[in-house]
Amino acid sequence: MKQKIANIASAEQFEKPVYSASLAVFRVVFGFMLFFSTVRFWLKGWIEELYINPKMFFTYWGFEWVHPLGQYTYLLFIVCGISALFFALGLYYRIASILLFLSFTYIELMDKTNYLNHYYFVTLVLFLMMWLPANVNFSLDAMRKPQISKRFVPLWTVGSIRMMMSIVYVYAGLAKLNSDWLIEAMPLRLWLPANNDMPLLGPLFNHLWVAYFFSWFGALYDLTIPFFLLNRKTRQYAYATVVVFHLLTAALFPIGVFPYVMIVSALVFFDSKDADKFVQRMKEFWPFLHADDDKDMFGYKPKRAKLLRSMFVLFFTIQIIMPWRYLLNKGELFWTEDGYRFSWRVMLMEKMGYAQFIVKDAATGNKITVNNNEFLTRNQERMMATQPDFILQYAHYLHDEFTTRGVHNPEVYATIYVAMNGRRSRLYADTTVDLAKETDTWRPKKWILDFDDKIHGL
Amino acid sequence: MKKWPLFLGLMLVVMLAAISCNKEGNEPAPIAQLDRKPMLENYANNFIAPAYAKMTTDVEALESAVSAFVATPDQTKFIAAQQALATAYLQWQKTDLYEFGPAEGAQLRSYMNTYPVTVSKVTDNISSGTYDLESFGNRDAQGFPAMDYLLNGTDMSMYTTGANAAGRKAYLSAVVAKMAEKIKAVNTDWSTYKSTFIESTGTDVNSSLSQVVNGCVLYYERYLRGGKIGIPAGVMSGTPSVGHVESFYSPENSIPFAVAALNEVKNFYTGGTAASMQTYLAAIGTKDDNGMLMADLIQQEMTEAINSMKGLNGTLIDNINNNRTSVLQAYDEIQDVVPLLKVDMVSAFSISITYTDNDGD
Repeated sequence: MKQKIANIASAEQFEKPVYSASLAVFRVVFGFMLFFSTVRFWLKGWIEELYINPKMFFTYWGFEWVHPLGQYTYLLFIVCGISALFFALGLYYRIASILLFLSFTYIELMDKTNYLNHYYFVTLVLFLMMWLPANVNFSLDAMRKPQISKRFVPLWTVGSIRMMMSIVYVYAGLAKLNSDWLIEAMPLRLWLPANNDMPLLGPLFNHLWVAYFFSWFGALYDLTIPFFLLNRKTRQYAYATVVVFHLLTAALFPIGVFPYVMIVSALVFFDSKDADKFVQRMKEFWPFLHADDDKDMFGYKPKRAKLLRSMFVLFFTIQIIMPWRYLLNKGELFWTEDGYRFSWRVMLMEKMGYAQFIVKDAATGNKITVNNNEFLTRNQERMMATQPDFILQYAHYLHDEFTTRGVHNPEVYATIYVAMNGRRSRLYADTTVDLAKETDTWRPKKWILDFDDKIHGL
Repeated sequence: MKKWPLFLGLMLVVMLAAISCNKEGNEPAPIAQLDRKPMLENYANNFIAPAYAKMTTDVEALESAVSAFVATPDQTKFIAAQQALATAYLQWQKTDLYEFGPAEGAQLRSYMNTYPVTVSKVTDNISSGTYDLESFGNRDAQGFPAMDYLLNGTDMSMYTTGANAAGRKAYLSAVVAKMAEKIKAVNTDWSTYKSTFIESTGTDVNSSLSQVVNGCVLYYERYLRGGKIGIPAGVMSGTPSVGHVESFYSPENSIPFAVAALNEVKNFYTGGTAASMQTYLAAIGTKDDNGMLMADLIQQEMTEAINSMKGLNGTLIDNINNNRTSVLQAYDEIQDVVPLLKVDMVSAFSISITYTDNDGD
């Protein structure tokens, strides 16, 4: 056992050759998934709805300079879609992967209203993929330049993708280890009955025990699935579970392509030997692809390898630490959401808010009740009403907007009610605080009122 | 491979333990009440369709009272028209909250009850004799507020000896005809829309539950709380403006109308004796901090709101001028219901508000 741990930790273990087909297959499925995701986004009219129609956009801290580009936003999606296609085909892979990473990330940064955990996951995976030799096999690049074709890559290249997926699953599982999820079966208890008109399974969702079953199974699934996928003996059953589990979540919840992203991404856990067999067979069908049966192994130049190694270590260190950053804040995480985003808290709470803003003219004392629909889309309004950083940004926006409308030194007050996981709604923010004077910092926000309840657990 | 049964078994044991520790978990799942179809049937058959049918009858009665008066104007017929107006306007309070589906498509509310009426537009229309009541600019020169002005804010003699009495009579007829046209269209549409409404049992954006809840909450917040009380009492602006009360030319009606509107919202919420938002919410079982069902708490808060409104003596205008504190208290009681409906109920119902993907976080 000791020896085994020592082996895993040793550098040689990381450099162990595995079949490059594993990485190549992942590149193909991931790339096509992103391509179709982009097309889907476009066809549903969401580019216009989310990035062109809204009056204001909620920016990320440090990325305030990222804005939609008006009609050129479509161009951005074209770049993203085409580079996803090139990425999948392994054509001009280096450039395609960089463009894909940049365009996809830029799109995600345009409005945090649309933040989804799976988009964040895609961004992180794309970041890794930029540095990995995913085009040395089963690619048009390898056909164009047979000299880059390699049948083997170091284990850590495939391993880093597996690692990334494992982090997502395990952290998503850890986040579920709380009293609301396990003891109250919230929020599934609210969400499942909403689907009780679904064929076959629908009637089941009326039963409370089903909500408990889903909650517990969900937590256990997330916590253990990477290990079952890594283990050769359990892998095929685990993968079957992945497919069933994610198809079920796709049927139940409006979470778009996420289930499919996970289903295809989990293929990366399969033995690289199997991937190699698959790719070799494909090459028999498509003789134009470079068929290599040599023993060549891809290797980075020593200097580059060293740099990459440090970068990946840093990357994963951040990934492992970041979800815990909420521990630095005293308030209830679900309530204040300090440290909620970027930590794989997926489908974890039902939170709904109602925010009524009042702009007061400091000179005349006149009060104007703000109609949120004048400035925000319904989705933006919904996101804004429960998340402090949105609330502040909106307050500042109102301050500026009403200044141009001739209000003297506008003061912005808000009456906000928030209900969470079936609890009665309560006042969320101090109604006497001029929110336009508050700033979004790393420190706890004093104007958020206490949650008055405790959610136990991680 | 062998680990799987072990894990499943373990999971079941822990799960059952958790459920049995949990008091609420012991209650059997109220399966029948979680079915949305009976609620939609109750709403369509016993609330919405009858409201539009009665509204149509009342507006038709108003139309014939007006045409009798216009044919041979006299005091008796004038009073009859006034009474028909009061009846129809009261029925409107029991109809307005159903502005979803066909009524929303027809923008019924804006044609029927945009107030305050702009008297200068009415008089301009009367004197010019050419007007288009379909045009957006004329929304505040027609409907109930215009009728209120024409029948309660105008002397009967204006229709007999007044300047341009003919033009005035024509305008009165035109306004009521437009109202009848609008309400009949919605009433007819509902008869065909009803089955669609009942069958749409989902919880997505287009589902009937979503339509009903969003329609009612918007109505309650903006048109009842804001329009009937908040704006005239100056809650938003700080300065009262009694010119904005509903039924300005028959001010004795303002409070009864508000009470009727509140009652209708409550009745609709509780659903009489059949399935309703209240029974559905009760079946979901969310509770407040004291263990009271949210479903019952909402009913209780609605009753308090109604009582505080009923407690105002005299007209709303008098109260705003002389007893504003009580009006503001009533407003607060009405307001207390808003977050309960808009936040607690809506989140328990898990109604989607958007077509886009959502993590639920």
